[in-house]
Amino acid sequence: MHLFILQRLNGKGLNKVFKQVLGWLIAAIFFFPIYFWITVSIKKDKDIFALPPKLFDFEVSFSAYEEVFGISRFLYVEDMGAVRPGGGDFYMMPNLVDSIIIALGSTGLAMLISILAAYSLSRIPIRGQQHFMGWILSTRMMPPVAVAIPMFFIYKNIGLMDTHLGIIIIHALMNLPLAVLLMKSFFDDIPKDIDEAALLDGATRFFVFWRLIVPLAIGGIAATAVLCFIFSWTEFIFVLMLTQTGLKTIPVVSTSFVTSTGTAWDNMAALGTAAIIPAFIFILLVQRHLVRGLTLGSVKQ
Amino acid sequence: MSSQKSYSLPSFMNSDSSLPWLLPLITMLIVFAIIPFFYNIYLSFHEFVPAKRALLFVGWDNWIRLFTDGVFWGSLKVSLYYTFMCLLIQLVLGMGIALLIDSDDPGFGIIRSILTLTLVIPPAIAGMIFLIMEDANYGLIPWLLKSIGLIGPEDTILSDPTLALWGVMIVDIWQWTPFMVLILVAGLRSLPSEPFESAVIDGARPFQVFRRLTLPMLHKVIAVAVLIRGIDLWRMVDYVFVLTSGGPGTATYTLSLYSWQRFTFVQWGYGATISLFSLIVILIVGNAFIHFAKVKW
Repeated sequence: MHLFILQRLNGKGLNKVFKQVLGWLIAAIFFFPIYFWITVSIKKDKDIFALPPKLFDFEVSFSAYEEVFGISRFLYVEDMGAVRPGGGDFYMMPNLVDSIIIALGSTGLAMLISILAAYSLSRIPIRGQQHFMGWILSTRMMPPVAVAIPMFFIYKNIGLMDTHLGIIIIHALMNLPLAVLLMKSFFDDIPKDIDEAALLDGATRFFVFWRLIVPLAIGGIAATAVLCFIFSWTEFIFVLMLTQTGLKTIPVVSTSFVTSTGTAWDNMAALGTAAIIPAFIFILLVQRHLVRGLTLGSVKQ
Repeated sequence: MSSQKSYSLPSFMNSDSSLPWLLPLITMLIVFAIIPFFYNIYLSFHEFVPAKRALLFVGWDNWIRLFTDGVFWGSLKVSLYYTFMCLLIQLVLGMGIALLIDSDDPGFGIIRSILTLTLVIPPAIAGMIFLIMEDANYGLIPWLLKSIGLIGPEDTILSDPTLALWGVMIVDIWQWTPFMVLILVAGLRSLPSEPFESAVIDGARPFQVFRRLTLPMLHKVIAVAVLIRGIDLWRMVDYVFVLTSGGPGTATYTLSLYSWQRFTFVQWGYGATISLFSLIVILIVGNAFIHFAKVKW
């Protein structure tokens, strides 16, 4: 593809090697902050603040991970309850568990609702379908703050404030436009003849959906679920505004690693690294559907 | 089609009516999207009065305050500047990188994979990554800029009124340029090759081909990418929250951050008014864009 770019590069004496070098340089620039963050998590304080920065030749220490995951609690029993100078407890397992519960719960809820709706939108057109889709898309436009302020009062009144269920519902809502539109595009890929043939043979609509179409769309369902999981996992402002003390997910708690003697960068980076590595693995697994997911199903790879 | 009708069963999930299938979605959207919207309107005509410890009706006061509040106009300007500049930079940069790495040569698949990684980092954590890299005392970026003489030895980024917003924008550009790249690469790969081959045979120059062929053929893909990225840029709050909290002074308040900040100051009605304004703007602009750019789902 794009012969002309190759031509131009070749024509001016720039060759494939140049393209490779430039491509890798760009990849390196975009990867550098991630690499830097990982090194912060395994550096000692004196190396974190060194200038010129120590990118490769630093002392490796996993004490930040031990504190964040509570390993030091088991290894050094006498340290139990001890806090670092400046105060602050960096034991983050409960927050990791909160994050996982919320991401799994909201993904499940969003998928359940969206698969039903997307199948229907794909197979049984309704009057004003375009407007209905436009409405779903408009939900995607709402600034989180504009939803979170009224939800704060509603949640206070109905007791969902500071609960896992409350955050699960709001994250599911946040992911619904993505999930519905994306699942519709996956269902649209499956020929409608399958449904019609089965219906003519006397199968019920639900049977067709559950036993024929869902198994065929399983790859798309997995990709959609992964994206929902990641967007819930990384979400910040809803959790910030709709929780108080009961639970905090990783993105929110990792911005609060500030003690009276400064910011605990190594612990923060350890938690941040632990939070992004699973997301990296997930996203590489569904890379094939990534562009379709990012564009809510409208651009296919 | 008429013969098919007799096979549709009257029971709940088996009917050919779409209502049961859509009901959970519609319920969810009404309860958690429509009700908050009207609640926001309700809040924008009320305000918490500390002396009476109650939310009281204040008429148009919040809206009058909105249009006479210098900080609000400042935050609107920041939001617009942030959205347009980031969108422009990400689109141009993204297109350049996409043209470069749209190749089947070995290695480019890995490069594309590396570029997907920034997309799944929680924005709050991306903010933290740049917070340490832009730190005034031991940050990598100010140190680099100072050693090549771009900023003075005493200058800082995040506490400088003119540079702070760029200090925030650089995070957005870093994290989301790959979003543009991946979408544009997918668009480039789906183009048919015949028009390009004949253009090259006709001796068209690369830039002409790009402007006359590539851009028009990518129109839909670009429109979708701009729409989705534009919405998210307008809603952005994580980066400013983490990096500057709106400072120095009010230099990096976006609409969302200002609204959140008023809310935490127990000016609930005013906070809701600002967020409602931001919501109405994006609904109008977004839907107008969908209409005029002919984006279809």
